[in-house]
Amino acid sequence: MTQQSLADQVGVTRQTIVALEAEGYTPSLALALRVAQLFRKSVEEVFWINE
Amino acid sequence: MTSKTQPDSVSMAAMEKVAWTELLVSTTAIIFVLILLPFLGHGASSAFALLGAVLCSFWFIRRRKKGTIVDERDLEIEKRATQRGVEAAWIFLILALIVVVLWPRNNEHNGFVTKTVLNWLIWIQFAIYVWVRGWVGVISYRRQIRVS
Repeated sequence: MTQQSLADQVGVTRQTIVALEAEGYTPSLALALRVAQLFRKSVEEVFWINE
Repeated sequence: MTSKTQPDSVSMAAMEKVAWTELLVSTTAIIFVLILLPFLGHGASSAFALLGAVLCSFWFIRRRKKGTIVDERDLEIEKRATQRGVEAAWIFLILALIVVVLWPRNNEHNGFVTKTVLNWLIWIQFAIYVWVRGWVGVISYRRQIRVS
C-alpha cells in the first residue's frame, strides 16, 4: 500500500501519513480509528505511546 | 505505526506551501520597506502593499478533483500559527504604543499618536502577524516530518 492510497482511504494528505510514520504527529482519535479499521486491527496495535 | 507504507517522493502539503508563501512574501515586503525608507521616508510604508501577494497562496488550496487538500493536521498547525501571529502582533502594538506615547518628541503632538505613526504601526503589525504565522507554520511542518 502506498502512502497516497492510505491517505486517500482515511481522508488525509499524504504528508500527514509521512508525519505519522515519522512519529512527529499524534493523530486525532477519529483518524486513529479510521487507520486501525482499514488495517483490521485495534488502535493499540497500530499506535502506541512512546514512554 | 507498526507497518510502514511504501514511501513516495516527499513533497510539500498545500498548506505548507501557503506557510512558505506567507513567510517569503512578508520577508520580501519588510526588506523592500527597509530599502525604500531612506529614499521615500514615510512613503516607504506603501511597500507593505506587497503583503497582498499572500492572497496568491489561495492557488495552492484550490479545489481539485482527487485527494484531500487540507486535513486535521493542517488545521491544527494553522490554528497554532494564527494564535502565535496574533499574540506577536498584539505584543508589538502595545509595546510600540508605549514607546510612542513616552517618546519625548511626542510632546509636540500633545501626547497624541499621529496618523502617520498609526499608519506605520498598523502595517508593521500586519507584517509581523503574517511573518510569524508563516514562520510557525513552516517550522511546525518541518519538525513533524523530521522527528524520526
